[in-house]
Amino acid sequence: MPKSASDLLKALALLAVALVCAGLANRWAGPGRKLEWTGWAPQPVRPQPAAPAPPQPPAPAPAIQAAAKPASLGKVAHPKKPDSPFAPSPQEVIREISSAAAWEAYQLKFPFLDARRSSEFEAGHVAGAWSVPIWETLAAARITEFEARANPDPQAPIIVYCSGGDCADSRLLAKKLVELGYRDLLIYRDGFPDWVRLGRPQASGARP
Amino acid sequence: MIRRLLHPWLTVRAQIALGAVFVAAALPKLIDPPGFAEAIWNYQLAPAWLIHPAALTLPWLELLCGAALCLGAWTRAAAAWIAALLLVFMTALSINLARNHPVDCGCFGAATGARSAVERVADMRWALLRDLGLLVLAAQVLAAASAKRRD
Repeated sequence: MPKSASDLLKALALLAVALVCAGLANRWAGPGRKLEWTGWAPQPVRPQPAAPAPPQPPAPAPAIQAAAKPASLGKVAHPKKPDSPFAPSPQEVIREISSAAAWEAYQLKFPFLDARRSSEFEAGHVAGAWSVPIWETLAAARITEFEARANPDPQAPIIVYCSGGDCADSRLLAKKLVELGYRDLLIYRDGFPDWVRLGRPQASGARP
Repeated sequence: MIRRLLHPWLTVRAQIALGAVFVAAALPKLIDPPGFAEAIWNYQLAPAWLIHPAALTLPWLELLCGAALCLGAWTRAAAAWIAALLLVFMTALSINLARNHPVDCGCFGAATGARSAVERVADMRWALLRDLGLLVLAAQVLAAASAKRRD
């Protein structure tokens, strides 16, 4: 066998061993470290947000496969003032809100979803927030748990946050929730660092 | 001159250095595949269907190739993979630098702590330079292995 062919076979063997190791390691990984091999989704057709967002490739959604929520599944309608930042807008199902609006939403007891990694959530989060780590396979189960325990109204505001700055996780989670039927996603633009800086209520550890 | 550059003394050290860097780079990514997937996604270059398979497989490929170089086994195949990976990393960094899209390198696992765009750009330039140095080492190992085969 020519030497170059032998080298090619060895290179392919390295790739094959890497694939096998990756498969086995992923199978035995804990829930916070697991990835779905095919955990991706095509770019959803969605209403345009008010502010033009930079172009992004389709987000690989880690295995969130819950059924779309019918719009009529409303439970307890939350209060909405027409002149508040929480007045629903059919054209903008995903909107960014300021720090002050996030605090107002918190006082009105709208649900907060934390899109960061579960380890970051456990280190500290908005008190009462739900952890939906968008990059972990846990996310699907966490959304199901949130729906079962919080009974959210799909038409009412849900506040989504991550680490502020250029963190895109909250936007990815908001897009996923739109796919699941939610129609008023408010992204807390400055995220958890801002919450901490302003000394607002925090908690740590996994949600009970 | 070329004979000196391909001297076994130098080649063994280049192999071990290159292998050690790749083993060290692989370990944090093996521990946290979701963090690496996010790092790949942040580059906004790879198609969505490729992100999770790449995040799962690349660290193992880096580990195996790095270990092979350190042990002196399958040197040409391992060095060729490493050179190919370095070219991919450098292309991704260059494209994002060119379009002024600061990203965390993700070279040694997910970044910890928030960093400014200026800090990220500086890190990207440094990572590009480091990858260029590693590519030179990979080229030396490949050339030495080829010369040894001819002898």
